[in-house]
Amino acid sequence: MISLEQTLLQATRRQFLGRSGVCLGAAALASLLREDSSLRAADRDPRAARPAMSPPRAKHVIYLHMIGAPSQLDLFTHRPELSARDGEECPESFLEGRRFAFIGGKMTLAGSPFRFSRHGESGQEISELLPHLSGVADELAIVRTLHTEEINHAPAQMFLHTGFGRGGRPSFGSWVNYGLGTENQNLPAYVVMLSGPLGGAGTSVWSNGFLPSVYQGVQFRSSGDPVLFLSNPDGQSDADRRRIFDAVKSLNERRLALVGDPEIATRISQYEMAYRMQTSVPDLMDIAHETKQTIDLYGAQPGGASFANNCLLARRLVERGVRIIELYDADWDHHSNIRKSLPEKCEQVDRAMAALIADLKQRGLLDETLIVWGSEFGRTPLRQGVNGEGNSTNPGRDHHKDAYCTWLAGGGVKGGVSYGETDEFGFSPVDKPVHVHDLNATLLHLLGLDHERLTFKYQGREFRLTDVHGEVLHDLIV
Amino acid sequence: MRVIFPIRSATLLLALFAAPVCGLGEDGARSADAPIDFETEVRPLLVRACVECHGPQKQEGGLRLDNRAAALNGGDSGKVVQPGAPGESELIRRVALPAGDPEIMPAVGDPLTGEQIELLRNWIEQGAVWPASNQDLVHWAYQRPERPTLPEVERARWTANPVDRFVLARLEERGLAPSPRADRETLIRRVTLDLIGLPPSPEDVDAFLNDDSPIAYEELVDRLLASDQFGVRWARPWLDYARYADSHGFQRDDFRDLWPYRDWVVDALNDDMPFDRFSVEQLAGDLLPNAAESQRIATGFNRSAPTNVEAGTEPEETRVNQIFDRVNTLGMVWLGSTLECCQCHDHKYDPFTMRDYYGLFAFFNGTEIEADRANPDVPGSIKFLGPSMPLTDPVVQRQRDALQTEIDAVAAELTAREAELQEFDAEWETELAGAIADAPQEHPLEVTGFESSGGAGHEVLDDRSILLRGDAPARDTYTIRARPNLSGVTAFKLEALTDPSLPGKGPGRGDAERPNFVLHAFRLSVRPTAGGEPQTVRFVAATADFSQKNYDVAGAIDQDPKSAWAIHPQFHKPHWAVFETEHPVDCTGESAFEFQLVQNHGGARTIGRLRLSAITGDYRGATIPSAVATALAVDHRERTEEQRDAVLSYRRDHDETYRELKAKHARLEKELAAIKPPTTLVMQEVEQQRANAVFLRGNYQTPGEPVTPSTPAILHDLDAGGDAAPTRMDLARWLVDPQNPLTARVTVNRWWAELFGHGLVTTPEDFGVKGERPTHPDLLDWLAVEFMESGWSMKHVLRTIVLSETYRQSSAVTPELLAADDQNLFYARGPRFRMSAEMVRDNALSIAGLLSLNRGGPPIKPYQPDGIWVKVGGQRYDYKVSPGEQRYRRGLYVVLKRGAPYPSFVNFDADNRMACRVKRPRSNTPLQALTLMNDPVYVEAAKAFAARILTERPEASDEVRIAFAMRVAVARPPEPAEVDVLSALLESQRSAVAADPESAIRLIGEFPLSPRQTAGELAAWYAVATAVLNLDETISKN
Repeated sequence: MISLEQTLLQATRRQFLGRSGVCLGAAALASLLREDSSLRAADRDPRAARPAMSPPRAKHVIYLHMIGAPSQLDLFTHRPELSARDGEECPESFLEGRRFAFIGGKMTLAGSPFRFSRHGESGQEISELLPHLSGVADELAIVRTLHTEEINHAPAQMFLHTGFGRGGRPSFGSWVNYGLGTENQNLPAYVVMLSGPLGGAGTSVWSNGFLPSVYQGVQFRSSGDPVLFLSNPDGQSDADRRRIFDAVKSLNERRLALVGDPEIATRISQYEMAYRMQTSVPDLMDIAHETKQTIDLYGAQPGGASFANNCLLARRLVERGVRIIELYDADWDHHSNIRKSLPEKCEQVDRAMAALIADLKQRGLLDETLIVWGSEFGRTPLRQGVNGEGNSTNPGRDHHKDAYCTWLAGGGVKGGVSYGETDEFGFSPVDKPVHVHDLNATLLHLLGLDHERLTFKYQGREFRLTDVHGEVLHDLIV
Repeated sequence: MRVIFPIRSATLLLALFAAPVCGLGEDGARSADAPIDFETEVRPLLVRACVECHGPQKQEGGLRLDNRAAALNGGDSGKVVQPGAPGESELIRRVALPAGDPEIMPAVGDPLTGEQIELLRNWIEQGAVWPASNQDLVHWAYQRPERPTLPEVERARWTANPVDRFVLARLEERGLAPSPRADRETLIRRVTLDLIGLPPSPEDVDAFLNDDSPIAYEELVDRLLASDQFGVRWARPWLDYARYADSHGFQRDDFRDLWPYRDWVVDALNDDMPFDRFSVEQLAGDLLPNAAESQRIATGFNRSAPTNVEAGTEPEETRVNQIFDRVNTLGMVWLGSTLECCQCHDHKYDPFTMRDYYGLFAFFNGTEIEADRANPDVPGSIKFLGPSMPLTDPVVQRQRDALQTEIDAVAAELTAREAELQEFDAEWETELAGAIADAPQEHPLEVTGFESSGGAGHEVLDDRSILLRGDAPARDTYTIRARPNLSGVTAFKLEALTDPSLPGKGPGRGDAERPNFVLHAFRLSVRPTAGGEPQTVRFVAATADFSQKNYDVAGAIDQDPKSAWAIHPQFHKPHWAVFETEHPVDCTGESAFEFQLVQNHGGARTIGRLRLSAITGDYRGATIPSAVATALAVDHRERTEEQRDAVLSYRRDHDETYRELKAKHARLEKELAAIKPPTTLVMQEVEQQRANAVFLRGNYQTPGEPVTPSTPAILHDLDAGGDAAPTRMDLARWLVDPQNPLTARVTVNRWWAELFGHGLVTTPEDFGVKGERPTHPDLLDWLAVEFMESGWSMKHVLRTIVLSETYRQSSAVTPELLAADDQNLFYARGPRFRMSAEMVRDNALSIAGLLSLNRGGPPIKPYQPDGIWVKVGGQRYDYKVSPGEQRYRRGLYVVLKRGAPYPSFVNFDADNRMACRVKRPRSNTPLQALTLMNDPVYVEAAKAFAARILTERPEASDEVRIAFAMRVAVARPPEPAEVDVLSALLESQRSAVAADPESAIRLIGEFPLSPRQTAGELAAWYAVATAVLNLDETISKN
């Protein structure tokens, strides 16, 4: 019989030679010794790519979250009746049983000051604030009846991304990471980038919750180290560092041979990946070598920090096989002065979103990349004219959870689709309501994961992203 | 509900076999022969309706219905279930009796519904199938542990105490043998890390190696248990359960003061406070008769719940969510049970119902609200509230007393001076009358130059005011020049104006909600001619239309860089201040004024629009109130009382002696306020109890059936001792009642998991039906009973475990062991696993010689990268690394901001404590490698470790120093091959440094070198130190 030491070292060496490209977790090694192929889910190498549960329509997902909640009524949901009755008092029947975060007293209907028109062969209706996105209207499936259960930012952000409004649960990206693992051993499987500050829910929206932290989103930052603690301290060259890595590796291998704990083999491979990340991440983040044409397409700025830069980086991450990319863009909470602020925000994202779709398409990557655009909730068809302190302001809109918009594009999504219908003012769905759990079930489905079977046992319960709910929206899928 | 079966019916056959096979009827309703699922249908009904009187605790009529064999055997009067013959089954006869019948079952509570009776009837009809896999109706964890007898073992000589007997018995069953003892270096490091969370010093290791006494290890254990670092190490897991953090969580993630609770936990653990008392004080310390301060601090356990104070939240929803959190946490920590399912429906597997859940909820429903609108009409005015208790602190109290004495003395002097000023002074009155005649004049200054140190833009408006433009820097100093051609200037007026372009109209630039400004200094110099030496103008008095509390306008002209003028809460409106010069100032011809307005608060608390004016003439005239002028015109003997007061008040305000005394008084008051005692959040009952009800679908807006405070029916009875509704105190005592089958087991299991890497129940969060069964049920029960009978002593239990041979085994894995038990569930070897996030830090700092063992007090901030705390909503906080030794204190004291937790800890599986967590995952990731290699905290630790090696082994060979390094880090001497690897690293690094000496200087940076060290040599040893700190062995307990 071959000794444990030999087996472990062979396994370790195999990883370094990159033949398998996969690092082995403790029990994986153990089972290797037993030649037992029936691994329990939790025993697998936590990062290794795993087969999907059903044929996946997309291999990657790019999630664009506009923090604060853009107004669906000024971007996608054209309600002529609302405009016609702008400034009138809202009929009581629409207000019954409804909750608002800030507004109260007399409720005034607020039409959109922006023009809508139809675009593409599908004739999708999109407002003048998104001229570039309108150019790719035929790629979009716009859901107009999304609804959620939380009405304040932090809980709603958590609810959208973790299926629960009070924190502590794994995020969508962590679930996908847990379900599918990664193809790329040089970069994290789940990357998060921000333009502007973090949302109110903080890092909860990409947290691993009760899943092992190997599934957490890793934030790539646009200033300082792109990944925390990526660069060597000043005065340490790559060669200096490699020597230390080699010494650590050599001593860890000796230890492994002596005490036989397979966790040491995993540690060795994780150090090697850390070393590779020190090259792969800065290389990824450097967009200076993109053509001028591409940079202009996105409106990106080498060396800068913006949503546009992040969109371009998202494409580069997809090219490198990164599974989940989430971009968060701040400042969409337009309680006041929406007429001025919303166009400003749209200008910051419109070109880059459209460019991302077009660029992925021309590179043949759109089919395998799911793009999701959305937010924690939408905004009211009612005017808000007083801010949180009780002072009057230029008009804006309050939080609205009962009907708002999200759009999907790419991997397996039927383009040019408009899904669901709301009442004449846009308060509530009247046809095909879509709950956040339905959206999440659909996103998982497109990635080849069954939201009812993707579970993790914790505190005596098999937890799911969608709790005990969620219906896949097959109408959105090619 | 209580069911009592006096048994009379005769015996009949029992047959218990396979289930029938039919399904649902066509219409989807259950047909009589649809198979009944015992587990999900019958079992919960029996548990809820029968087991309380016919179960483990009571067997009315000699009948038990909690166990297959017993149930089918029947009671004193025979069988009650006749499989296949419901008509002949006493059970069916009794439950089907009409309500009110003396024989009806359940004897207490509601009769069964028709549907429930039908279910039982069908079940019996179908053969009363009771799968053998479900022998016990009442799950093992809900039956009281009893001290088991020690099992017989073959290798009894191996065992040191009963723990080993139980472990060895299971090993022998499986044909396994224990591993040899770990060597002494491994053992002392293991037990030191386990008990105090720190590595042993080389001196500790040597002393232990050289101690031949047979009780050397025992003495070591006792010494560690007595260390004041014990509580610091063991508070960490407890604070995970308590979801303790320093901020609220959610969008408005502001800080709160709760650290005295954290310190309470450390102290209680150090004192080995009995766990029953430890529990009662945390859950209900406020309700103890004459509760001591520490007992109220303990209730911070439940104030640790995250609080949503985002603008626009519904306070009642927040309050209810916090109680959900408290109930769920209680279930997890004391009952090892997931209760939160019962928020919306009865538990699917475990015998907990919605009524049970809301019965527990009711205990917590009477405490003060913790987030509410400051103004009921303004949804944005959510404030963090809830009782906060000032702490007594003898040192602080002495300081306060001394200050108070001084304040009293000054106050007496003030009174005396005031009496003097009441005397008529003809000369003073004449002079003042003259001043009134000499009217002052204001001259708005034309701006000839403006600079913002923060790079802000500006625009001069027609009214000569300056409007700031562009991005608002966090801090700013404005330099303003003017050449007014004026003489005899006695004062300057500064106006802070509003403008529509400013956030919230201003006058500050920070944000629309609180556009404050904080002016730290208002300075002026006069430049006689272009290029001449500027003359500083001294100001002697300042007045303003409004000053924020503790930010008096005088702060802008004193020499204290911290004092300042600000205007909270008078936002959104203009303000002015006047600064009086010591002597009249001239500024004519070429000479120019140069003002400096220093605004250092941060967060752009800077003035958005301002105007400066010079005042000529007797400035005092400008502020002589008309009441004084009127009074002066009247003969002093004929003045009304009001007029006399006006004159006195004016005279006081302009009397130098009086003003000095007054200023001193104010300063002392300010000092007194500044050393106010720390506060901590506590629980407190409101007087008016709220209504208690089940919430339908878990929604507080749809209350259902009313409930009273009560404990889950499946568990032991709550004895509240009287008719009064039971309180939180009764609940707390019920939890630690020796009758409670869960608390002791759940608690010892978590400690076992801390020591061995997993519990005897590997799902410490779930002792329910779906959780894992214990690997060693008898050992778990033995420990639980031992724990209770030792007076709930944690230290006793830990001592017992670490003194066992089981704990002392070597952790080396052989292929055979790995094949037989890869998870080490049966303990044929010792524990080996990576340390927790906090321990990784403490260990590295300790090895480096940097660690500070100071305990207690407000949280500390080690280095973290910039930009981590930038977040939407809530106050902005600047992250300032703690000074001096503070930054090297133990991980337990590192600040925890829920929205942005300390990243180095997150990378090692710590979380943001938004909810109770009794088990941390233990992952192994590349981010951990990057953290240990490059986080400046660990880079500094490696430098300090390198310096320590050189300093503590002066004049020694490389080999000796390497051996020392390994001894410090992993307690053992290195093997020759290891020395070779590290020597080679050292040599190659020396060559690299020789080739590029500059790199070593950059690497060492500001790290202080001792006299005989060179940057080059330290840089070479830095490589060795980094390698040693990064070894898997160094960050693992072996």
